[in-house]
Amino acid sequence: MKRFLARQVAHLVVGLCGAAVVAIALSAIGDQRPHNLPAYLIAVTDRITHLSKGDLGHSAISGTPVLDELVQHMPPTLTLLACGAGLALAVGLPLGLLFAFGAIRRIAAPFMQIATATPLFCAGLAFAYGAVQLLHWPVSVNMRVGLAVPPDQALRLAALPIATVGLAGAAAVQLALRRAAARSSGEAFRTGLKRLGLSGMEIEFLYVMPQIIAGLLASAGEIALALVSAAVVAEWVFNRQGAADLFVQSVALADWNMTAVILFAFACLTIVTGFFGRIAGYLLAREEMA
Amino acid sequence: MSQPPSLLSNMMRIAGWIGLSVLLVAIFLSDFLAHAPAGAIMSGAELNPPSPAHPFGTDVLGRDILSETLHGLAQTGRHAIWAAAVAIVMGGLFGAVATRLPRPLALLLRGLFRVLSAIPALLLTVVLVGLFGHNFVALAAGLAAAPLGFIRAFDHVDLRAPHTEYARATGIPGLTLLKRDLTYDFRHILGSVIARALAAVTIILSTASFLGFGAQPPARDLGLIIAAAKASYLSAWWTAFFPGLALVFFVLCARLAAGLEEGERA
Repeated sequence: MKRFLARQVAHLVVGLCGAAVVAIALSAIGDQRPHNLPAYLIAVTDRITHLSKGDLGHSAISGTPVLDELVQHMPPTLTLLACGAGLALAVGLPLGLLFAFGAIRRIAAPFMQIATATPLFCAGLAFAYGAVQLLHWPVSVNMRVGLAVPPDQALRLAALPIATVGLAGAAAVQLALRRAAARSSGEAFRTGLKRLGLSGMEIEFLYVMPQIIAGLLASAGEIALALVSAAVVAEWVFNRQGAADLFVQSVALADWNMTAVILFAFACLTIVTGFFGRIAGYLLAREEMA
Repeated sequence: MSQPPSLLSNMMRIAGWIGLSVLLVAIFLSDFLAHAPAGAIMSGAELNPPSPAHPFGTDVLGRDILSETLHGLAQTGRHAIWAAAVAIVMGGLFGAVATRLPRPLALLLRGLFRVLSAIPALLLTVVLVGLFGHNFVALAAGLAAAPLGFIRAFDHVDLRAPHTEYARATGIPGLTLLKRDLTYDFRHILGSVIARALAAVTIILSTASFLGFGAQPPARDLGLIIAAAKASYLSAWWTAFFPGLALVFFVLCARLAAGLEEGERA
């Protein structure tokens, strides 16, 4: 246990430090000095000095502190990610279990392959088209969402980006679950437990299920990565003013300070989620899940 | 998980390769197959629905969508082939070579690629295009897709395999051993690696293009065509549907050819 924890903490520290180095290197590009290696290295040193004082710099577009912009734009993205993760679990868990244990997988496989091959922005646009044509819902594909939107409309406008992010996450959840189930199905303890007189149901619930859930938890980083990717696309397709949308605008307008901080925030999110997922998986299964 | 592939999965792979071959022909003969040159505008034919004259309809500027889809597919396909080559060399190949480097250097490289793999490939592509310009989009997508391939290849190599131990004991040079491993290990999975890289980079390229970080007008790829159709597709579905269908078909064929599971990341 101690060795496993130490290894995971080392991975976490290396991951976070690496992400910080990438972010510092990126933010130094925005420096106004002449573009040559010595000037760039001075800019990197400057950034590190400022960072050590807790100063993340200013946005080149708005002139406001980067941290203020991040605090303003991050909550909508985090809400989108949290709702998307909830939907991903709600859809992905039953799908994964259904596909792992039932023959239904063979029937659903072609549809699942087509769904997985669909780029997320195409899926988002398809959702919006369906919502307009079938449900007569308002969609924000071609307009910015203002603040003065009635609550019922705001809910409908939020539903499509959440569905887009959620379904991208659901694909990752069902795959993680299915892989964990396939791994545990080959375990030798099943035969041993049967010989001890345990029923199939008891074995599944007491021994197999924790292994499967642990496998899912161990893949939390992978699932977080899918959700973050999906959030970027969903915010762009549905004109949501979150951090992911700000990221795209910052790169387009060469605001490298802002870009670096958002990139670091997203990298931290996936690295930390992966870390806690692996720890939780280990605690549940009492072994390291691949 | 390591069961031999079933008859169904083999058939799926073959279907994927046939689809990719058809698309490759369409990509290289796009100028010959298309009704109109890329970007050709027909005045008075704006937003016409599918008809015998325009099987896929026309867009808001009166461009034939069948022709535009073929030209867009060609643009996406050409970029995807370059990007896949970069992803394979910088990912799978470099990962396999890096394993044989002195242990501290190998672990340092793995750590670096692990950090990069924690950042969504789409974001990396967008940043690289922002830094180096739109002309480097294929290189950017390939480099962004590489970290995952690097980690997979790095972890796949078994340095304690019997033949490696034997080679070390008998003094066979490391380069000879590397050549042997690349020849024997990659030979069986090369097709799958190529198709997998194609699937990954096509999604990255088209999404980056949709966000405005890919092809630049007048050259248009499928992502840009769909982005342009965003304003009109709610009332004229065909403007986004057919380019989207071509894109999904491309990625689907690549995924099937690679033998990827449903939901598996390419």
